[in-house]
Amino acid sequence: MKGVLAIALSVLALGTAAAAANPARDAILAALAAEAKGADPGFAAFSAPRGQTFFMANHTGGKPDTPSCSTCHTRDPTQEGQTRAAKSIAPMAVSRTPDRFTDAEKVAKWFARNCNSVLGRECTAVEKGDFITYLAGK
Amino acid sequence: MRVWDLPTRVFHWLLVAAVFAALGTELFAPPWWLDWHVAAGGVVAGLLLFRLVWAAFGSEYSRLDSFLFRPQQTIGYLRDLLRLRPAHYVGHNPAGAAMIFALVAVLTALVGTGLAAQGGQEKQGPFAGITSFALGSGARSLHSFLAYALMAMVAAHVAGVLADRRLHGSGLIRAMVTGWKRVPAQLPVAAVRFSEIHAATITLAVLSASVTIALILLSRLPPLGVPRMITDRAWQSECGSCHRTFHPSLLPRASWAALMAGLSDHFGEDASVPPPAATEIGNFLQTYAAEAWDTKAAHGLSKVSADDPLRVTAAPYWIRRHRRIDPATFAGPAVKLRSNCNACHGDADSGRFDNQAIAIPDNPATGVNE
Repeated sequence: MKGVLAIALSVLALGTAAAAANPARDAILAALAAEAKGADPGFAAFSAPRGQTFFMANHTGGKPDTPSCSTCHTRDPTQEGQTRAAKSIAPMAVSRTPDRFTDAEKVAKWFARNCNSVLGRECTAVEKGDFITYLAGK
Repeated sequence: MRVWDLPTRVFHWLLVAAVFAALGTELFAPPWWLDWHVAAGGVVAGLLLFRLVWAAFGSEYSRLDSFLFRPQQTIGYLRDLLRLRPAHYVGHNPAGAAMIFALVAVLTALVGTGLAAQGGQEKQGPFAGITSFALGSGARSLHSFLAYALMAMVAAHVAGVLADRRLHGSGLIRAMVTGWKRVPAQLPVAAVRFSEIHAATITLAVLSASVTIALILLSRLPPLGVPRMITDRAWQSECGSCHRTFHPSLLPRASWAALMAGLSDHFGEDASVPPPAATEIGNFLQTYAAEAWDTKAAHGLSKVSADDPLRVTAAPYWIRRHRRIDPATFAGPAVKLRSNCNACHGDADSGRFDNQAIAIPDNPATGVNE
């Protein structure tokens, strides 16, 4: 009886985790939200559609070989991407790669590199938050 | 008259087969057939060892002292040969004997230079632990030269046999098959010594066992100039997150230093690494850069492209070694990029790039493996 309850609980827990909520990711989003609010008091919330537009768009100002996030991550974030050096990249969608955006250091490192490669500048807190929100829901 | 004993005849034709096998596997086979070339060379070495023993214990005309001539005799014989009136000999004539000695000397040198090239350049085989790359390269050049010299000598040897056919008609080719040679009736024949099978067998067994043991012991030495590399974890994780890590021996120190200094524009991407990890990776690359290795890849690639000194695939050596690979093979789904060393070199991560570890995927354009 106890065993069945434990299994039921863990299935429930797994289901909830897959759905999105992850304390580490929430903390990263909260920090980004605070930063966004600091920059613009009128900031309300991150937006998945805005994140999607940003993800798919061709940007200017970055390096010529990488105009868009989708250059490497493909236009379907539930699929594997590929680096320009032909190494596969785990899907960006949290539903496919559950530990995405849960390590603040890693998130900072990759935004720093890839925003410079794609946009030729740092990304804003809003862009980062939208990006994570979009992929957390995919 | 019966001149050549069975072991000498078998030796002769096996040697012919082994020499042509060695030649063919080098000239016409892809690099990953190296083991077959080495095996053919091993057979040549074994046959030479046998012949050395048989020169002491074989039957009359196989013995060394039956075809030792004084220089004057050889010169005299050659003079008679030019007048097309060479004297008859039951066994080897003086010119033939000189050719035998030359062939054995060149074959021995071929085995030696082959082993040195294998040890020094490929870091394989019994001499890998004691032969530098430079010595191996010199040996390799000599090996090629000797191989062409051998071909010329083989041609001269065959020409000599054909000349005998015209001048004496002693049936030398058939003699080397059946052992029976036509000899003029008036030719004086020395007292014939028989072969000493037991002495020959024991000597050969002792000799070949000693040589084998010596070679096995030698081959257990670690290869010379191949450091034991302790893989750096930051290098693995940082560099390895975008591409398969390139062995540090594939670029010289100056290139690695420039590469680490320019990570914000790393082949068209920002690949900046946080400072502590960057320092660690930089030190690792300096420690194990091309200068630290005596391997063929390190030597070849240490001379970088003047225009593109950070790109391994732009190095003249890299281009030369890959010039026969169809661009379609590089572009195909199995390789994708020239920088994808592992697609064809199974041992790229070790920096060895052994010939035997090459497996080129089929060319998607032609479906043919080149």
